[in-house]
Amino acid sequence: ANTLRLYLTCIRNTLEAAMCLQNFPCQEVERHNKPEIELKTGPELLLNPVLICRNEAEKCLIETSINSLRISLKVKQTDELENILTKKFLRFLSMRAEAFQVLRRKPVQGYDISFLITNYHCEEMQKQKLIDFIVQFMEDIDKEISELKLSVNTRGRLVATEFLKQFI
Amino acid sequence: MATIAVHQFAQCITCHAWSPDHSMIAFCPNNNEVHIHKLVEDKWERIHVLQKHDQIVSGIDWSIRSNRIVTVSHDRNSYVWNKEGPDWMPTLVILRLNRAALCVQWSPRENKFAVGSGAKTVCICYYEQENNWWVSKLIRKRHDSSVTSVAWHPNNILLATTSTDGKCRVFSTFIKGVDTRDSGTSSAGDTKFGEQIVQLDLSFCWAFGVKWSPSGNALAYVGHNSMIYFVDEVGPAPSAQTVAFRDLPLRDVAIILIYIDIYITHVRLQVLFVSERMVIGVGFDCNPMVFAADERGLWCFLRFLGERKRSPSGAKYGSQFSEAFGKLYGQSKHGISNDVGEASRSRGGIHENCINCIVPVKKEGESTNTRFSTSGLDGKVVTWDLENQEDLSEYL
Repeated sequence: ANTLRLYLTCIRNTLEAAMCLQNFPCQEVERHNKPEIELKTGPELLLNPVLICRNEAEKCLIETSINSLRISLKVKQTDELENILTKKFLRFLSMRAEAFQVLRRKPVQGYDISFLITNYHCEEMQKQKLIDFIVQFMEDIDKEISELKLSVNTRGRLVATEFLKQFI
Repeated sequence: MATIAVHQFAQCITCHAWSPDHSMIAFCPNNNEVHIHKLVEDKWERIHVLQKHDQIVSGIDWSIRSNRIVTVSHDRNSYVWNKEGPDWMPTLVILRLNRAALCVQWSPRENKFAVGSGAKTVCICYYEQENNWWVSKLIRKRHDSSVTSVAWHPNNILLATTSTDGKCRVFSTFIKGVDTRDSGTSSAGDTKFGEQIVQLDLSFCWAFGVKWSPSGNALAYVGHNSMIYFVDEVGPAPSAQTVAFRDLPLRDVAIILIYIDIYITHVRLQVLFVSERMVIGVGFDCNPMVFAADERGLWCFLRFLGERKRSPSGAKYGSQFSEAFGKLYGQSKHGISNDVGEASRSRGGIHENCINCIVPVKKEGESTNTRFSTSGLDGKVVTWDLENQEDLSEYL
C-alpha cells in the first residue's frame, strides 16, 4: 500500500507540471486545431515523454505537447483470469469514451487504457479536478478488478457445487 | 490586498484590452466575437459586439491616441475597428497570412501594428490612404516555428518576437514612407526591413510573453520551462540573466513603469523617470509573480501577488487516516505519508484557472502607474494595484 501512495503522488506531481496546455492552431493545415500529441505535426511542439513505473507490471506513460496530453496506464495483471477481466472491463469503459470526455477510445500500443486531455478540457474543467479524476481512476481500477475476480471465483464455486450435487 | 476589482465577464477570456480612458474593456469570450463592456454606475454593461471573425479571436489591442481596435483571429484575418458614431466599423487588413494569427500589438506611434502567426512569419501592417486599407510587409525568414508574442521597442522600429522554437529575436521593421529616419536613432535607422538584429537562444523550451523595459534597454521573456529571462543592453553583445522558479510556467509579463514630472522655474521640463526594476509575470499558477532587480541589477523572484489558499481540512484528514492505519497495521505514523485521501491543493486565490493576458492600466494625466489587469481562462478580469504593497514600494 505504501508504494501505491508514492506512485500516485509521483503521477499527480508530473500531471500538475504536464497539464499546462494552451490553445494552439495547427501549423500544417490552415484553420484547423488538432491535438498535437496525437498527430505530431511538429517535433518542436512535443515535450519529452515521462514513464513512471511502479514495478515491471504497472507503469504510466505521460506524453505532453503544447495543446494536449496523453496518459497511458498499464494495470497490474497477475494471472490469466485478471488478464481477461482487465481487458473486458477497460474495453467496456473505452467504448463509452464520450461519456468520460477525457478517455481515449483505443489504448496506446503496449498499455491497457489511455486518456487524451486537450486545452479545451482544461478550459471547461478545472485542472486540479482533472488530476484528481485520473488518480482516483487509477485507485479504483485495482479495486474493481479484484472485486470482479472475487465474484467470478465465488460464482464458479457456487455453480460447481450445485452441479456436482446431483452426483452425490 | 493588491486587487482593486474582480469581475466575471464570461466563462473563459482569451485576451482583453482597455479603452484609452479605461471606461471600456474589449475582450474575446473564447469564441469568434469581441465584446465591449462599459462601466456604467459601478456595473459593467455590454455595449457592443464585434462580429466579423470566423474563428476564435486570439489578439486584441486598443490604441491609446487614435482610439482604434485591432483584432486578429485564428481564421488568418485581422480587422482594424474605428468608432464612427455609435458603431465600430471594420477596416480591411491585407494580412497575406496562410495560417492563424496568434498575437498583435500597436506600435508606440500607432502607425503600424505587428502580428505574429502560426505561419512562422510576422506581419507588419501600415495604413494605405488611397484604398482605405491596411497592407502588410512580412518578415518571412528566421522563425522555425509559430510566433507566439510580439513587442515593440519605444523607437517604433525595433520589434522583439518570441516563438515556439524557444528563441527570442529582435528585428528592424523600418518601412520607407511610414517611418522617418531619425538622426538620433541612427543605429536603428540604418537597417532595412526584416533584418534580424539579435537572436537570443536562452531557452530550450517554448518562449512566450516578451516585453521591453520602458527605456528600451532591457527585454524580458518567459520560457515554458518555468524560467524568465532578462536581457540587458540588447544589441551586438547582450547580457542575459535567467531566473528559474519552482512553480508552474508563465504565459505573459508586464513591466511596471513610473512617470515623474519635474518643473524647473519657468521652463517646464518633463523628465521620464522609469522604474526598470520590477516585472510581473502571470501564467499557469493563477497568481501574478513579482520579479525585481536590486541595485546591482540582479533579478530575482520576490513573491506572489495574490494570497494563496491553503486547504486546512486536507491536513487534518490525513492525520486521522494515518493514525487509523497505524493502529490497524502496526506501522509507524511517520511511515504513512500525509496525503492519504488528500484533495489536491487549490492554487492561488483570485483566478481559478490559468491567467492568459496581462495589460498595464495607465490613466491619462496620472503621474504614476502601478496598476495592471489580468484575464484568464476562468473568465475573470482582475485589476491589481501595487500602491499599497509596502515591500514592493522600494522598487517602484
